Amino acid sequence: MRVIVADDSVLFREGLARVLEAAGFEVVGQASNTDELDRLVESENVSLVILDIRMPPTQTDEGLVAAKRIRRQHPEIGVLMLSQYVESHHAIDLLGQSPDGVGYLLKDRFADVGEFIDAVLRVGNGGSAVDPLVVSQLLGRKRSRDLIEDLTDRERSVLSLMAEGRSNDAIASALKISPKTLEAHIGTIYSKLGLEPAGADHRRVLAVLNYLRSS
Amino acid sequence: MTTLQRRVIQVGALAVVALACYAEALYSSRTWSSVLVDIVPGSSFVLAGLIAWSLRPGNRVGLLMIGVGVGLLTVDVALQDRVSRVWQPAGVLLVFISPLWAVVLIHLLLAFPGGRLVSRLDRVVVRSFYAVVPLAALLAIVAGDPVLGKISQPAFDIEVPAAGPIYAACLVIGSALVIRRWFLGGRARRRSMSPVFWPMVPITILFLLATVAVLGRSITVLATVFPLFLVALPAGILIGLLRAGLDMSSVGDLVVKLSGGLAPEQLQPALAHALHDPSLEVAYWLPAQEFFADLEGLRIELPTADSERAVSILGDPGSPVAALVYDSSLVDEGQLVGTAAAAVHLALQNARLQVQLRAQLEEVRQSRARLVEAADIERQRVERDLHDGAQQQLVNLLLSLQVTKTEALRHSDPETASRVETNIADLKQALDELRELARGIHPTILTQAGLVPAIRSLTERCPIPVEVTGELGDVRLEAPLEAALYFVVSESITNAIKYSQGKRVCVSLGRRSGFAIVEVSDDGVGGADLSVGSGLRGLTDRVAAVGGRLVVKSGRAGGTTIRAEVPCG
Repeated sequence: MRVIVADDSVLFREGLARVLEAAGFEVVGQASNTDELDRLVESENVSLVILDIRMPPTQTDEGLVAAKRIRRQHPEIGVLMLSQYVESHHAIDLLGQSPDGVGYLLKDRFADVGEFIDAVLRVGNGGSAVDPLVVSQLLGRKRSRDLIEDLTDRERSVLSLMAEGRSNDAIASALKISPKTLEAHIGTIYSKLGLEPAGADHRRVLAVLNYLRSS
Repeated sequence: MTTLQRRVIQVGALAVVALACYAEALYSSRTWSSVLVDIVPGSSFVLAGLIAWSLRPGNRVGLLMIGVGVGLLTVDVALQDRVSRVWQPAGVLLVFISPLWAVVLIHLLLAFPGGRLVSRLDRVVVRSFYAVVPLAALLAIVAGDPVLGKISQPAFDIEVPAAGPIYAACLVIGSALVIRRWFLGGRARRRSMSPVFWPMVPITILFLLATVAVLGRSITVLATVFPLFLVALPAGILIGLLRAGLDMSSVGDLVVKLSGGLAPEQLQPALAHALHDPSLEVAYWLPAQEFFADLEGLRIELPTADSERAVSILGDPGSPVAALVYDSSLVDEGQLVGTAAAAVHLALQNARLQVQLRAQLEEVRQSRARLVEAADIERQRVERDLHDGAQQQLVNLLLSLQVTKTEALRHSDPETASRVETNIADLKQALDELRELARGIHPTILTQAGLVPAIRSLTERCPIPVEVTGELGDVRLEAPLEAALYFVVSESITNAIKYSQGKRVCVSLGRRSGFAIVEVSDDGVGGADLSVGSGLRGLTDRVAAVGGRLVVKSGRAGGTTIRAEVPCG
């Protein structure tokens, strides 16, 4: 899979490129700012862009703006945004346009290479990846009238994996349950929370996140 | 002018009136009504002039009116054929002098109400008229019949070559000057000029029509109507003078208002009202800054001597209290301005002190705002340094450890791999802690996405339920306002969690009449106090630094509400 890496730290880009190449990705370009990134996106035929949210010149949200632009102009390219902080606001902002091929992870997620590569692959293949911290924060959020508390532990695990953007197969194998049992869990979750069943896999990410944020 | 001179002029003027009446009665072959039409305008000018002169002895308006009246009557007398026949030189002399009444009239119109010709142009023109018009009369005598039997009225004298056009030119120029003065002046000047301006308009038109003589036979009609308008002038002038008396009473009203206590903001309107000049400005002297300023402390440049605006400096010129800037037409009403200024002197002094205080307060406010802003910028800088420095380096280190681990595994060195794995876990822990520290210093989401997402992000991390209601609108607030409100919310929530024992917190946001409002309330034990503890105190200062205010409601009954309002334009 052809990938572009964008970050203003050359050490980080190199390190990330090595991790990715070790996992079999082809890093075809590195960009230190969004202008370089835009040029690479136009010239290289890639499946995925991995970029930092904070980029020169103002070091605020140039990366986010660039990510949204790439999504708009090249819906076929997946965009994985990395950040030192994760905020549900940005997650919704990014996923809101179309959750296909969008990921948002904490910058140090690659500490667990397996999980990280899994997320990269998901986004590169048109799925989505939401940082577990975003999900756990939203799930752990205290509410005055909390339907989440009605869920069993198992159902809560299923919900958080759904919110991270995992597919049914991935959830089933992660929790070591059969696809049929999983389907049943998902059905219960939807009815307990009063959610409309929303498509399969990553399509439901946005609905679940929005639910967790709003209620 | 001595009393004797005054008496002589007064008696002389009355004598001219009497003589004119006598001459008309004795020699006129015309009907009584036309005799009256001849006599009344001149006499009314003289009588009104005498009254005006005694009302305002220092004002030349009265004398000028007497001059116009005497001139008019002289013309009447001179026109009587038999007068000339009785004493021929008298006729010639009278005709020579008599057209001057028109020049005196123009002089009067331009000098009303102050009695002085204010602009240089007016002075030059009037002086040259005094020289040119008798010359024109002389021309008329030389060119025409010396006895001048044919002159019906000097102004209508179109049979005399040369003189007519000169009269016309004088009149056109004179009227143009009066109209110019009218249009250049503000409301105050127009008000003071109106008693002479409105009668002047028909007089000028009739005068011009007659002089150009396009109307042929109608001249006689005009000649009958013309004196009626002339009567309107002295009447208007007297009304104007009486109104000046009323103006003095408006200063009296001002004094009454002052005794009731006038706020500094009300002084300027009250003065403008008393002096009938809406354009009047009060400029306060600020000794520290050494300039004049308005109530807000903003600098005011005083007009130069040549401008249409006049200035009265109040107080000792070395260290003035204030200056009044007004329409220059009020210069004519020097006494009025002086009286009004004396009446408000003390109030102005008081207001000046307030302006000084406000100016100092504004300086302090700005410096406080700058301090807080500098602190905010410093916080952001520290956060950015952490982000781009320590955090980035630790992430890079994490990556490199990751690569090392992969290589160790590839070289079948599970022991090293496991040690590196432990390091990775420790490093991740350190990164998490550093991340929380940096977030506390300045949350990046506040700069990236604004106040509402930052507050929501805050509430998502709270150990008790926090409900966020309301909106702040689509347009983001300025950074110092966002920072102030953010820290109000974060500090208040922290307090609620730490001390209130409440079960839930509610954050409500709103934007009303130019204010952004944030309210944090809990259902805890209450008893929060602004005077105790530096937390709330610091928040109050922070909000005040951006021009807002913080209100804490926290009774023994329970529950605490902290409300911050900041002006957001």
